[in-house]
Amino acid sequence: MNPLPAIAAIPEHAARIAVIAFHAFTQLVRMKVFYFLAFFALILIASNFFNLPQHEGPEAAGVDVLRAIKSWSLGAMTLFSVVLSIVSTALLLPKDVEDRTLYTILAKPVPRLDYLAGKLLGVLLLVFVSLAMMDALMTGILHIRTNMVLADQMTFAEARGWPAEEMEALKTDILAQGPTASLQGAVLSVFLRATIIASLALLISTFSTSTLFTTIIAFLIYFIGHFQADARAAFLSQEAGMSDGILAKSVTLVVALVLPDFQLFNVIDAVIEGQVMPLVLLGKLTLIGLFYVVFYIIASWLIFAKKEF
Amino acid sequence: MSVSPPAVEIRHLVKDFKTSFRRQPLRAVDDVSIRIMPGEVYGLIGPNGSGKSTTMKALLGLVAPTSGQCAIFGKDSLKVDSRNEVGFLPENPYFYKHLSGKETLEFYGKLCGIRGSTLKDRVTELLELVDLTDASHRRIGGYSKGMLQRIGLAQALIQRPRLVILDEPTAGVDPIGSREIRDLIFKLREQGITVFLCSHLLEQVQEVCDHVGIIFRGKMVKEGRLEDLIAIEDQTELILKDADPGLIAEIEALIARDAKAELIRSGKPRTTLERLFLRETKRQETQPK
Amino acid sequence: MTQGKRYAALGLAILAAGGLRMPFERQLTDDLQAAGLLPPKLEQRTGEKIGQTFSAVSLGGLRTLVATFLNLRAFTFFTEQRWGEVGDTYELIVDLAPRTRYYWDTGSWHQAYNAASYYLYGSELPPLRRKANWRASILRGREFLERGIRNNPEDPILKHRLGTLLSDPNKIAAFGEPGDAYEAAYEAYIAAAGLENAQGFSKRFALYSLARVPGREKQALVLLKEIEAEGGRLPPTFFGLSYTLRHYEAPARPIMDLIDSTFPSRQAAYETLGSQWHRTRDRFPVFGVAEALAHLENDLKIPPERSVLKQDVPAPMEPDDYFAPKR
Repeated sequence: MNPLPAIAAIPEHAARIAVIAFHAFTQLVRMKVFYFLAFFALILIASNFFNLPQHEGPEAAGVDVLRAIKSWSLGAMTLFSVVLSIVSTALLLPKDVEDRTLYTILAKPVPRLDYLAGKLLGVLLLVFVSLAMMDALMTGILHIRTNMVLADQMTFAEARGWPAEEMEALKTDILAQGPTASLQGAVLSVFLRATIIASLALLISTFSTSTLFTTIIAFLIYFIGHFQADARAAFLSQEAGMSDGILAKSVTLVVALVLPDFQLFNVIDAVIEGQVMPLVLLGKLTLIGLFYVVFYIIASWLIFAKKEF
Repeated sequence: MSVSPPAVEIRHLVKDFKTSFRRQPLRAVDDVSIRIMPGEVYGLIGPNGSGKSTTMKALLGLVAPTSGQCAIFGKDSLKVDSRNEVGFLPENPYFYKHLSGKETLEFYGKLCGIRGSTLKDRVTELLELVDLTDASHRRIGGYSKGMLQRIGLAQALIQRPRLVILDEPTAGVDPIGSREIRDLIFKLREQGITVFLCSHLLEQVQEVCDHVGIIFRGKMVKEGRLEDLIAIEDQTELILKDADPGLIAEIEALIARDAKAELIRSGKPRTTLERLFLRETKRQETQPK
Repeated sequence: MTQGKRYAALGLAILAAGGLRMPFERQLTDDLQAAGLLPPKLEQRTGEKIGQTFSAVSLGGLRTLVATFLNLRAFTFFTEQRWGEVGDTYELIVDLAPRTRYYWDTGSWHQAYNAASYYLYGSELPPLRRKANWRASILRGREFLERGIRNNPEDPILKHRLGTLLSDPNKIAAFGEPGDAYEAAYEAYIAAAGLENAQGFSKRFALYSLARVPGREKQALVLLKEIEAEGGRLPPTFFGLSYTLRHYEAPARPIMDLIDSTFPSRQAAYETLGSQWHRTRDRFPVFGVAEALAHLENDLKIPPERSVLKQDVPAPMEPDDYFAPKR
């Protein structure tokens, strides 16, 4: 007898989760979600040819185009990843129940945790692949465009006879708006946020009775989750004796404990504006994301393990 | 040879479903016990809503019993490993429409841990068995009812289970498709696979099953070997070959002389399963609650 | 465990996980705020409307995109000269993208320069209304820029822009006492010059502003000497101020001696000081300038009829000159 059956079974579980994940991925791909990417490419390339009205003089020329490319891209990534994460997660589980395909899967030697993890990973795989493709496109276009802007600005500065250190400062300024490492960090943040909302949608769908309900609740939590940090701050300041009121205190506490903190991911906006994102902070953000995903999967399993169909 | 455990062992299964708040729970299955030995073909018959599907789901661990136990080859149904030896075809199955027949079988095969050339060979073999080789590359979305049922059966067989559970295998299938499925069940029986099926189509059950159980309003009302069940206990049947009318007249005269015995009918001696079913369910209905 | 108990366990687990992550998330929020990756805490965002903040927070990841669209809309308002709407749109934009200098800069510029000139020249309103609007526009532009600086304390350009606005001869009347405005401009320029990535001329502009604050001439000279000591190419305005501040400090020093030690040539000195004498709207100090010009004209043998001192000095144009009723 194997002394550690649980550990010995890990590759088996991993293989089964992978099968379900790839299957869910294929299912979504064949639902033609990737058409969105063509649309994304189209607007991105179009935005590149699209000249924004200039409010400013030549000393700022082009930099706002770089910012526009980033805003477009990360905005589209945000929309796509959040909508896809919620809708497809909310859809996949009830669809399996409705079509009775779940019976055939669970009638095979498939632990329910493997099934849940597989479905979620399938959705996340799709989001990841889509984001990676969008990221590659954005980075490429941004790279080309940054070099163009830089060349223009350097010629302009040289013609004006700027001192070397000011040219250097200008160059730094422009490059900060280009394809930086922090920008990749922002894309990763978009993905992390999508993983959290997807796993949360999975949890909701284990006890929800309809796809519509899951979708609405998940979106609601997504929006309110942006204020969790404010509720937490309010609770902690009350705790510190800034004010009292048991009702306010308990409401803010419950919001802070129950909802995920999505405000953390607003760093994406600051990065688009050219702020630098230190690797340590990105690492911490990733840890938070992992914590949520693992927790929500286990929580989903808690409900799903004994669910009857 | 050691005594092998029964393929299916359901002991005093009770399943309640909550309806709404404060109302009494609905008892879908009430103290049902079934034991199916390896190699048997067992048919569970009963009208719609009598608890057939719930019993099967409990056996597969899809619902948890309120009380009682279910086991497959001695393994508790609530444990995942009990599912290694069982294949299941649900009622009116749908499969992933985006997959082809071949991909569907591959998917279920991989779920059971079958890989590589073993999987490939098994899929080819099963497609041949259910006669879907020509349609194997078509998306399931375009399959007919009968084809769906057959791919469902193939899916159930993918890991060579020793037990196959079929929930209404011929529901909504035309007579020809129905016969094809019946033939497949015969093939399974030849291979020694235990089959547990439920249906409300009685002739079909009569044709393929060697054991039957009748379930009505959640209760098992009659169970046993088909041969025994449909024999009429207070009657005796003589089947004569090449008997001339004189002999028959003699026998009839002999019977007439007996005070107790009575000749009911000569000719076809058996009742049908259908008649048995109706009789048993009627008796159940007239009983006071 | 029944399903009901499982739901109860789920609820407890969610609360426990919330308690577990709270200190970590709080710390991370603080770290991100310190790194400028998250906006400062709500209570620190004084004077910002809560409704706008609401939309800004919940648009996470989409904010700069929305800001880009609003910027397009603001441009339309600008071309249609709907100044109030331009201003309101920029209020929204900076709420969405508070770290983008461009929006603060442009929003302020639309108010203080474009809207102000519109009320100066273009509007059909009665003079008093035009004047009030002119002044209000400039002050709104200033206030906007100051908020931008508070949001981006490390940005030298915004501070420099504020200095430029405050020391603009066409705007200065809107700020009340010119000396106060120049002093504020000096503060802005010198703050800009103290930052990393500062433009080299910010410090010089700080000097130009400080020199125009009555009573601060001595400090201005100290700053001037500091800039001199740093070396580098310096423009004529600098030499003009160098002369006049040094003369102010030591009025007894022979004029020609001071001129020769300050300017590259006497001809250059004459041109620089002559223009300084005439640029009355810039309000540069003119201590000893008239004497210097007289000495130089004598020395350079400039005929009296071509003397700069004889030419009319334009009186400083005040807003009231523009807002006089149209004939």
